[in-house]
Amino acid sequence: MTSIVKSIINSFQVFPIDPFLLAVLAILIPGIIIFLIMAVNALIAVYFERKVSAFMQDRLGPMEVGIFGFKGGKKFWGGIGQTFADAIKLLAKEDIVPKDADKFLMVLAPFIIFTGAFLTFVGLPMSDSLVISNFNIGIFYIIAMSSVGVIGIILAGWSSNNKWSLYGAMRAAAQMISYEIPIALSLILVVLVSGHLDIHGIVQWQADNRWFILHSPFAFLGFVIYFISVVAETNRTPFDIPEAESELVAGWMTEYSGFRWALFFLSEYANMLIVAFVASIVFLGGWLSPFQLIDLPFIDILPESWLVLDGTIFGIFWLFMKAVILIFCMMWFRWTFPRLRVDQLMYVCWKIFIPFALANVILVSIWELIF
Amino acid sequence: MSEYFIEIVNGVKTFLTGMKMTLQHYNNKEELVATLQYPHEKWPIPERNIGFENSEYNLIRSRLHVDIDDCIGCLQCEKVCPVDCIKIDTIKPPKGTNVDFGMTSLDTQKKMLVTRFTIDMAECMYCNLCAYPCPEECIYMVGGPNEHKHEIDYEFSQYKRDGLIYEFADPTEAQLAEVGGESYVESRKSQKQKLEDGSNLDGLVEEEQKAVVVDDSKISVIKEVDSGITLKVFNDVGDKPARGVAKKAFQSAKRAKMDYFAMADYVNGVINDAGKSSPEMTTAIELIRNYKDATAPTDTSVSVATESSPVTPVVEATPPTNFDVKSLNDIEDKMSRGIAKKAFTVAKRENLDTNGKIDAIKLALSEADKMTDEIETLLSTFRVSDKAPSAVATVVAPSVEVGLFDIKLLNDIDDRMARGSAKKVYMAGKRGEKSSSDVLSDIREELNKTDMMNDEIENLLKGIG
Repeated sequence: MTSIVKSIINSFQVFPIDPFLLAVLAILIPGIIIFLIMAVNALIAVYFERKVSAFMQDRLGPMEVGIFGFKGGKKFWGGIGQTFADAIKLLAKEDIVPKDADKFLMVLAPFIIFTGAFLTFVGLPMSDSLVISNFNIGIFYIIAMSSVGVIGIILAGWSSNNKWSLYGAMRAAAQMISYEIPIALSLILVVLVSGHLDIHGIVQWQADNRWFILHSPFAFLGFVIYFISVVAETNRTPFDIPEAESELVAGWMTEYSGFRWALFFLSEYANMLIVAFVASIVFLGGWLSPFQLIDLPFIDILPESWLVLDGTIFGIFWLFMKAVILIFCMMWFRWTFPRLRVDQLMYVCWKIFIPFALANVILVSIWELIF
Repeated sequence: MSEYFIEIVNGVKTFLTGMKMTLQHYNNKEELVATLQYPHEKWPIPERNIGFENSEYNLIRSRLHVDIDDCIGCLQCEKVCPVDCIKIDTIKPPKGTNVDFGMTSLDTQKKMLVTRFTIDMAECMYCNLCAYPCPEECIYMVGGPNEHKHEIDYEFSQYKRDGLIYEFADPTEAQLAEVGGESYVESRKSQKQKLEDGSNLDGLVEEEQKAVVVDDSKISVIKEVDSGITLKVFNDVGDKPARGVAKKAFQSAKRAKMDYFAMADYVNGVINDAGKSSPEMTTAIELIRNYKDATAPTDTSVSVATESSPVTPVVEATPPTNFDVKSLNDIEDKMSRGIAKKAFTVAKRENLDTNGKIDAIKLALSEADKMTDEIETLLSTFRVSDKAPSAVATVVAPSVEVGLFDIKLLNDIDDRMARGSAKKVYMAGKRGEKSSSDVLSDIREELNKTDMMNDEIENLLKGIG
């Protein structure tokens, strides 16, 4: 099993190159790849979200902005250049730091949040042999990294010196720390069954047996709990009480503008992609082709990889397809449900998800013992 | 306990109901979309009918329109308009001529040409009063009961206010010539030119030039010369500043009424002085030199000039003082042009002579750090040509220059506040014609007073002294 970092080091070792320079290259190249993924993801996802929300509300969404004169069709591709224009506007905006704000922390906060999202990608495989760095504790690392963002949010809320920001940050902290528990408890299931913390091991187990979501009814319940909890973890509607426009202006992001706000935005959509990736890797078979589920009768006539469309390239395709479907579901949630109240949010987490997730752990263990 | 599970089941049920609802809307987006893509699509305009039998009352206050073919130029609408937003010009054919202007649709013989019919919809208050007196019913609000005459137009927003000025009359030149409207055309043209100049801020007219304008004979002379060869010969020259210098020289030569031969010499001299000569420039100058005017009056002037050609160097040395605001238009940088023009007008108000103006401009520019070599040469062309008539000024001005150090030296002071106050003191010293050492000590005193003195500035000032 090779990783991108390893292959960079191996391929550059042929040349007589300074080890320090090699280390810089090995950090820089994956870093640029990750940043590109995040930026492109944000551009596409924002457009996607605007269109999905528009169609669910019987509107059309952006329809006027094209790219270099190309304006797309009548409905879905109508405003294809909108997010590019928005991004340029955002980067060109004035960067305001309030007079009474804690300037150091205020500048620091977006970078911490961004770093959390950024570092998570290091352990996330895109395909069979496409991972920045191959951990043997991949899933643990991802859970740990995704909770780094909370620190940034609290810093942002506190340093803004604004009551809306502070309220938002406190709510975000309470919410995100609470929802870490059901997420971890649902991910434990797959570790329990496959015996791997390593992501490749998990996917290999699914390749050998079946997708984990089809393992048992409890695994399916685990998936539902995981998926709803990550919607709360990424602070998206209906769990967006930290931002809550109608109550808190923009929550902990109130005082931010320009590039720093763009970093928040980038991280939010990167987090969406991350949780969708994790859900598809852990529960939906990762880069495995869905055709493997079907028992094809003429499988012996043709080479298998022709029929099920497997391999590295198709692996990327399947993983992204699964992630896109899950992201669509998250958008679907957002434009369907109204925001929860703070107490309702805590009720759902502590009184429903955590007991069910705990019971799930026991029941899956029993299931594994019996079958 | 059972309540707890019932709640969960209800939660899941309503959850699914909601998801189903939005998915239905998402899937049926084609039919359900309520958006009207406004500028591209429009709702049909409802018929307006408030129940009166008289269709006049169903009038829509939309936009005024004139069927100009029916207009007889009676000026009734212009007179009745309470906000004076209608302007009409007419020309009657001179007595004796027999011009047929045609008939209106109400069978009235038209007797004059309507050369201008302007309605400013930005001023219009939609009172519809102009429509009532019109004997030919040719001015009306579009749409509503007048829909058959002109379709409704309720969207006439514009980016600029002049966009709302509607011109309805557009007489052809043939028509104008028929009624003898040449003078009218001339006046319209000059009006238009003034408007353009105004919008380009080119229209600043010098007092002296105004006096010239009054003298008709001179204009005609200049015009005749103009008809020969114009500034356009220099347009092939690629280098912009060189082009500017050449054009300037050409203009002043023309104003001095030189003939083409002398003119070429003069331009050539100026170009060489400025070090701007180039192959294109030489061809352009050759063009002027070899140009032969066909018209009689210039012929004589050529003959006169050839006789007096040895005298031309004298003329060359003292061209008339033509330093005006327009001369500054050759400064390329917009900021510095603005500063220079401002300084010029201030100087002019103080009745300074040309050299005084140039000094003022130079001072203003160097204060703003905008002084470049190009501007320096440009300004110096005027100064040199002016030396003889204003000898007193030239003697006075350098004495100040020599006595004092250059203000640019103060630009090395890093602190903005300190630099500002130092320059202020410098200017005061200059006005009082103090010597360098006096000014320096003044600056030191001032900076010490305001606590802005430091070692760097001290060293700098020492260096100047």
